Parts: sequence; C-alpha cells; structure tokens
Amino acid sequence: MTKIVALYNIKGGVGKTSAAVNLAWSAAQQGSRVLLWDLDPQGAASFLLRIKPRVRGGASKLVRGKSDPAALLKGSDHELLDVLPADFSYRNLDLTLDATKRPTQGLRRVIAPLAGSYDYVFLDCPPAISLVSESIFAAADVLLVPLIPSPLSLRTLEQVRRFVAAEVPKPRPRIVAFFSMADGRKTLHREVMAELSGRDAGALLDAVIPAASDVEKMALRRQALAGFAPRGRAALAYAALWQELAPRL
Amino acid sequence: MDARAIALLLPDGLSASGAADRLAALLPVVTQRAHAIDRTFWDTFDGRLQRAGLALAEAAGRLVLMDAVTHAEQASAQHPRRARRLLLADLPAGPLRDRLAAVVEMRALTPIARLRSRHLPINVLDDVGKIVVRLHAEEPTALPGGERQHPLRPRLHVVGVRGYDGDLERVLAVLTGDVGLQDAPRPVLDDALAALGRPVGGTSSKLRIELDPAARADAAAVTILRRLADVIETNLPGTLADVDSEFLHDLRVAVRRSRALQRELRGVFSPEPLRVFRDGFRGLQVLTGPTRDLDVQLLEFGELAAGMGKSTAGDVAPLRQLLEQRLVAERRAMVAGLRSQRTHALLDNWADYLAGLVAAPEGDRPDAARPIADLAAERIGTVYRRMVKMGRAIDDDSPHEALHDLRKKGKELRYLLEFFSSLYPAEVVKPMVTTLKGLQDVLGRFQDREVQADLLRALGDDIAAMEGGAAALMAMGVLVERLGEQQQQARAQFAESFAQFAAKPQRKIVTRTFG
Repeated sequence: MTKIVALYNIKGGVGKTSAAVNLAWSAAQQGSRVLLWDLDPQGAASFLLRIKPRVRGGASKLVRGKSDPAALLKGSDHELLDVLPADFSYRNLDLTLDATKRPTQGLRRVIAPLAGSYDYVFLDCPPAISLVSESIFAAADVLLVPLIPSPLSLRTLEQVRRFVAAEVPKPRPRIVAFFSMADGRKTLHREVMAELSGRDAGALLDAVIPAASDVEKMALRRQALAGFAPRGRAALAYAALWQELAPRL
Repeated sequence: MDARAIALLLPDGLSASGAADRLAALLPVVTQRAHAIDRTFWDTFDGRLQRAGLALAEAAGRLVLMDAVTHAEQASAQHPRRARRLLLADLPAGPLRDRLAAVVEMRALTPIARLRSRHLPINVLDDVGKIVVRLHAEEPTALPGGERQHPLRPRLHVVGVRGYDGDLERVLAVLTGDVGLQDAPRPVLDDALAALGRPVGGTSSKLRIELDPAARADAAAVTILRRLADVIETNLPGTLADVDSEFLHDLRVAVRRSRALQRELRGVFSPEPLRVFRDGFRGLQVLTGPTRDLDVQLLEFGELAAGMGKSTAGDVAPLRQLLEQRLVAERRAMVAGLRSQRTHALLDNWADYLAGLVAAPEGDRPDAARPIADLAAERIGTVYRRMVKMGRAIDDDSPHEALHDLRKKGKELRYLLEFFSSLYPAEVVKPMVTTLKGLQDVLGRFQDREVQADLLRALGDDIAAMEGGAAALMAMGVLVERLGEQQQQARAQFAESFAQFAAKPQRKIVTRTFG
C-alpha cells in the first residue's frame, strides 16, 4: 500500500526540500517506486532534480480535477523516481483549494489516482500553517518534520502537534521529527540534541542530518547527494534516515 | 516509470561502444560504465509467455516480467531460491503472480535459455544536463552450457523518460534516420532460442495440418498420426518428470485422437495390425486415466472447496491430503507403465507401421487409395447424423450412459473436424465446431461431475479412518452434493445445446458440405 510522507515544518529553511529529494532518491535506490510532489511554489525540489517547475493548467485545474495528474508527471534521473513538479500558481493554492468542495481533501484527491503506481509519495511542503497545510495533513500518513536543534524549532514542533491534535480530523498523520542542519561545533545544537536524546522515543528519529557543504552544493550540481557525493557525511546521514524511517511507515 | 520503450538492431559490425561513439557525435550523451548481466529466461513448455509477447527473466535473484521485444518491465518479484520449476503457487503473492496467472494458468515455468549480455548505458541529456532519454546498447550472447557461446546481433534499447516524449521522438528520428537503425523484428530471446536450436514460441501440441483433398486417404492418415505420435513423444518426458499436469493431458489427448482416427479411418489400415495397435493405445489410455482424473480433481479442488463456505472448507483438508496420496501412488504406477518395454515397443512399432503404410499392399485396406476429402466427408457426415439420432433419443428419463455415449461420439466428431478442417470451408467448419463445443461442454460437465463424485465416494472408508475424518466425511458429503447439483444443472442445459447442434440449418449445411 502506498505510503504518503509529507516533509513539513511551519518554519522555512530547515532542510525540508533537501530531505524530500534525498529521501525520495534513497527509497528509489532501494527499488521502491517513488513520486515526489513539489508543492512549494519556489520549486526548489524541481530545480534540484533539473525539472522545469511548471504544471500545465496550473494549480487550479489540478485540484479541481480538470487535469490528469499522470500526464503532468516528469521522470527524474532515477528510473524509479517521478516528480509532480512545482508551479508558480501554487502560491495561490490556499485560495484555489478554498474554492473547491471539501478543500482539505483537495491534495488527497490529486494523489488518489496516482497512488497505486507508487510505493511512496513524498510531499515537499511550503512552510506555514494554512489551508494547504490542512490538506497536506489530510493526505499524509506521516508528517516528517526536520528540526534545527534549537529551542525555537522545538517550539514549532509543539505547535504542529497541538494543531494536528486539535484541528485535524481522524485519521491523523503520525508526526515524526529528525534533527536537520545540525552543527556539532555549536554548543546550543549539542545541548538541545543531548537534552532530547532518549526523550520522545518513537517520534524523534536517531539519524541526524549534518549542516554540510555537500547539501548546499546540491543546488550547484542539481542532483541528489547520491549522484555526486554518495560517500559524503550528508549522503550517508540521509541514507541512514531512510533506513530508520522506512520500517516505521 | 511506464515509459515507452523501443528496441533497435545495431548494424552488422557495429559494437556497443562503436554505437556510443557514433551517437556522441549526433546527440548530447553521457556514456556510463559497461556491465555484464546474466539472465535466465523462463517460460512454459508451450511458450505461453512468448506467445503473449512477454518474457520472464531471472537476474540477480529477481524474476522480472517484461515486454519481449523492448524489455520494458511490467512486474517483478524475488525468485524462490534454487527452484528449477515454478508453478504459480511457488511465487510470492503480488503483481508478478497476478500478471502471470492469466497467462500461464496451471502450467509450470522452467528455464528455456540463458543469456549473458554486455550492457552499455548511454543517457541523452537536455540543455540543463537532465536525462531525457535512456539508451543502452546490448551485446547478447546465448549460453548453451559448457564453454561454447553464441554471440547474437547487438541491439540498442531506447527508453523514454516520462514527460519527455518530444525528446524521445527527436532521438528516435536521429537513430532511425541519421544512424539508420531499424526496429528489432523479434525478441532477443527468439534469437537466442534459434541459435541454441531450441523451439521458438514453445512446443505446441496443436495439430495444424494442411491436407491435399486429392491425397490418398492412407497418406493423409499417416500425416495426422505422425503428428500425433510426435505430440505423444514430446510430452512423454514432462509427464514422467511430473513437470505439470498438462504434459499428461496433452499426451492423453494425442492418444485419444489417434484412437479416434484408427477407428474412423479403419479402412485404410490392415485389420490385424490395427487391432493390435488399437489394443495398445487403449492400454495407454487406461494406464494414464486414474492419474489424470486425480489431477483434474486436485486442479478443481480449490474452486470447489471455496464454494463451500468458510466453516466447511477447513474440513476438506484431509480429503485433499488423501487425493494427493492417491495421486502419488497412481502416478508411480503410471510412470512404471510408461517406462515399460511394452510402451516403448508400442510406440516404436506404431512409428514403423506408419512409415510403411502407404507402400503396403492394399488388398485388405479398401479405403487406402480413396481421396481423403471423400472419405473424411463421409465419416463427418455419418458421425454427425449418428449424434443427431442419439441426441434425439435422449429425454429426461434416459440413463446417464446415453449422455456419456453421446459425448464420446461428439469427441470423435470434434477430432474429425480438427483433422480435416483444411479440406472444407472455414465458414462451415467453424460454426459447426462452435455448436459442437457448446454441446460437449455441457456433456463434459455432466460426466466430469459424475466421475469426480464417484471418485470422492470411493475414498469414503479411507477418509473415515483418518484423523479429523468424521468432519472430512461430512464435508465430502457437501462436496458430493454440490457436484450432483452441478451435474443436474448440466443435464438441464442439454436440451438447449443439443437443439442448436442439431438445428435444421445446421443439418442442411452438413448435408451440403459432407454429403
């Protein structure tokens, strides 16, 4: 059965896109059929995979069921990884969803006809809590939350948890977090990770994604890490993250 | 995924790396490292996958079902370790098994060829360096076992990337235009099988015989009977090795067809040798009957038990176990009989007799030199009219035997139509076969259910003596009852099927065509 994993955080710049691209690649590398939907109007995930961030008919036709999502897919450089690209019209996705019946089901409706063809669907989500987020919560089996090890990040994780518990009807997505962009040289990062280590068992993964220059280079190389630095610290960390996450899905 | 794939042949003398160099001058490509892939191809004995345009290849512990020509993957699964024969039940549940089920049915998959290919992946890129078309040049070699190898014609596989159809068309235009490559006319597996001297498309048990209407009847009979002897011979090893149930089925059909022809064209044979061979072939039929009956019972067991409801279905396990034990014992006896000197002598003598038949004296063979079209028409017309007479005499009070006899006659007519279909217009033979098939299905169901019920009843004492026997006996009662119901349903359908078979327009056509 297809599992839908949404890379989500209210905050931006926490490593959602890098995680979405590298985890999707890791899953494909292991033989799974994978779809990555780049929901961020900035189109960073599409850019990293060298795919034009453009969807014929835009967000409006897509969520109103007027476009065939299968016809909008693009194959990536990995044979088992397809991409539903970003589109600049996604900036108005809130309004577009709001104009449909049962707006929180909008994204689920788009994914439904595609789901059977894939083992995993990754959603690279825009930051914020909005109608788009609610639609993501309704579609996803797991909200995978990247956290920069700082007190403020932990606060946003709590906000997400409270929001999902209070506002999202069942079945709710499971919330799983991991540390991202962790810098071992920073005392604060070390302290926050040490404090949380062992707590929150099951909801906080052990794998930690380091703040590494390889991750920044992805934008230059326009490839997943496995494509140009497969033995680097960051690539191995994402592979470990997938190894830890996959059995929980 | 779901990408369009095309296979092209590389011209003679152009290697994979040569092709890559030539492409580099025409397209923005990146060539990757070449690698070797060892694949074993699997199919049923009768080549069901090949005939469906599919190929099942095993490589690195996985079974992959793919398009035979383009090798576009359709489903895959882990290969059950060390298996040299695969039935559907041996495969893990999932898309591969589901996809294969409709094609291979009850037949076993066995390895049919091994290929080692050198693959050279070549990616075509767009202006930002993204892969928009995947190519891989393949240099295949068929491996017959041992040291000898058969190099096959190299190919270039072209696989589109989803959402980049325009690029695929552009690349294909270059490959077929500028480079002059042509579509591969047939699968690489066909090339391999041909190189290895193995049958392409599997081994069929179908007759497919073209006869000359003016040919001597004995010569035509020899043509048909030799083909049938061939079917017996090719299915014998699989029957002895119990590869799957269909080897025995096809062998028995060929024996039954031979017997039908021996009977229907008896005037082309000398009476005494014919009597000996008819006895021998009847012996083969008797020898193989019990095993086939149990095969059928077990093949249909799941379906029958599934219709019983969950509460009773579990109780029939001892029954299945007993049927399987019986099958082992019957098979052992059958195999011994088939391996016997007597069977070998029968088949050898039959082949020798057929080889000398046309040249043999005709004194006691009154039909030997008659044109086959005349003799066959006479037999078809006679058997048809006999069936009409027999069927008309059947009413609700007729004994079962009357329906069984009609079925036997029907098989005879079916075989005659198959043997001699090339002599008569298809528009006559085909509808006749269709109505006959409809009737035979009903009669077959009627008789098979009776045989199955008798077989089950005969197991009653043994079942009762087994652990869990009481419950199994009760479940068996339910099964027998269901078989009885199905038999009655078949009987109720008889009148309608027979009416179609014996309808006036049909009778007229038979008279006009066969006299």
